[in-house]
Amino acid sequence: MAKIVVLGAGISGHTAAAFIKKKLGKKHEVVVVSPGAYYQWIPSNIWVGVGKMKIDQVRFKLQPVYDRWKIDFRQAKATAVYPEGDQSMTRPYIAIEYTNETRRGETDKVDYDYLVNATGPKLNFEATEGLGPNKFTHSVCSCDHAVATWEALQICFTRMEKGEKLRFLIGTGHPTATCQGAAFEYALNVAYEIKSRGLLHMADITWISNEYELGDFGMGGAFIKRGGYVTPTKVFSESIFAEYGIRWIKRAGVTKVEEGMAHYETLDGQMHSEPFDFAMLIPAFAGVGLKAFDKTGEDITPKLFAPSGFMKVDADYSGKAFEDWLVEDWPSVYQNPAYANIFATGIAFAPPHQISKPMKSTNGTLITPAPPRTGMPSGVTGKIVALNIVNQIKTGKTGFKHEASMGKMGAACVVSAGFSLFRGNAATMTVFPIVPDWQRFPEWGRDINYTVGEAGLAGHWIKLFLHYMFIHKAKGYPFWWLLPE
Amino acid sequence: MGKNIVRGYYDESYPPIPTSGTRFWRRNLLWQAWRFIVLNIKIMRIVVGGHS
Repeated sequence: MAKIVVLGAGISGHTAAAFIKKKLGKKHEVVVVSPGAYYQWIPSNIWVGVGKMKIDQVRFKLQPVYDRWKIDFRQAKATAVYPEGDQSMTRPYIAIEYTNETRRGETDKVDYDYLVNATGPKLNFEATEGLGPNKFTHSVCSCDHAVATWEALQICFTRMEKGEKLRFLIGTGHPTATCQGAAFEYALNVAYEIKSRGLLHMADITWISNEYELGDFGMGGAFIKRGGYVTPTKVFSESIFAEYGIRWIKRAGVTKVEEGMAHYETLDGQMHSEPFDFAMLIPAFAGVGLKAFDKTGEDITPKLFAPSGFMKVDADYSGKAFEDWLVEDWPSVYQNPAYANIFATGIAFAPPHQISKPMKSTNGTLITPAPPRTGMPSGVTGKIVALNIVNQIKTGKTGFKHEASMGKMGAACVVSAGFSLFRGNAATMTVFPIVPDWQRFPEWGRDINYTVGEAGLAGHWIKLFLHYMFIHKAKGYPFWWLLPE
Repeated sequence: MGKNIVRGYYDESYPPIPTSGTRFWRRNLLWQAWRFIVLNIKIMRIVVGGHS
């Protein structure tokens, strides 16, 4: 009997655990370790943040699902990996600390044959002074944050109704933050909600971003067919912002936030300040801070993890120059190079480098989005790692039957821009592949037939359809395994 | 403040803005139902073709 431990129960970890258990059945043991009691469908947090969905529409308790699937769920946070065991335990194990009410603070050891690290990111608000929900800005990165953000937004609506003109600042809150798509979506939804209340004349909405150009989204932008031309996503994104009455600040790294004021540096080395009454800024992401020790107790964290805290996998970390980047730099099986039975999926794996060109200000500050791995890549990497582990256990062979490189997989990003079944709007964007492959597609870096940018009601329907489909899948309702990642 | 509202000389002036015709088709139920099918097929082909 094999024992597989999955760290994290987000899109990637939950997918991995579900497929491992389904394929291996009762003969093998699957343990999920996650500090939260809930599964969250994070893409819909945007709608919680504008009051269009309640928190329990985007989350559900994990325990009943795992009970049904016969998965051992430990509500705990992992603190350290012992891939060789130690003096007290010869098998590899994970040190955990329980976070549920009954066992809070208790520590434990969970041994494993295979480990899947799908912890997701630490929301690194501390990397920017004054950033975050308990300080001066709001967030939609978790459903709890989104609820608090909606409460703050309602207060803004009331103030505007009373005749006060307010300034909204939405975007990235760190020079290397990623997840521009979520912030972009939130900016459009806020603009839509303000407009639907007839308050647009009372609002000054500003987008602030570390992108070199709008529409970069941390993946170097894309080219799409539009109106008889092939145009960059810069034009597409700027067009939507202009339509929604949002002005923008680009090439900007927010370095500090004070009450009502964001300070930022731009690529030309200039320091600026932008006042606000309401700000939703995405933080930088980092690894969750797992440590690793060998059997003698020596700290081997750098052997397993990159300096960012994300786990090293089968990627090229040699630090190539931008001009030498290849899609082959990106991992395809997400296996740790030091320990063959450890894998990292979703946001938890360390990317080899950015996708966007690294840009430094004249002061030497790196102002470039980190590469996005949220959503579709998280689910796909979780699934292929699960299938490879299952295959290894069933066949006893060490090879890999399944591969999924971000240089070979596509992604769809549906950016909601107004919640209404008949009057809603969304920008549907697809890219294939995620990481541009200039060898395979020398003209545009991607397959222009599958790289799409389109606004319309259909996008809103797709976003809504995806919400219900993935909640259905995550709850393990009938035929869940047939639904694609 | 002058009477002339000049559309230009700031970033937001230069991107293409949808015409009333474009906005109509964005909300036309028949056309959007067709786009829903087309976009879903594109997304499905991306998903299925992206990993082995």
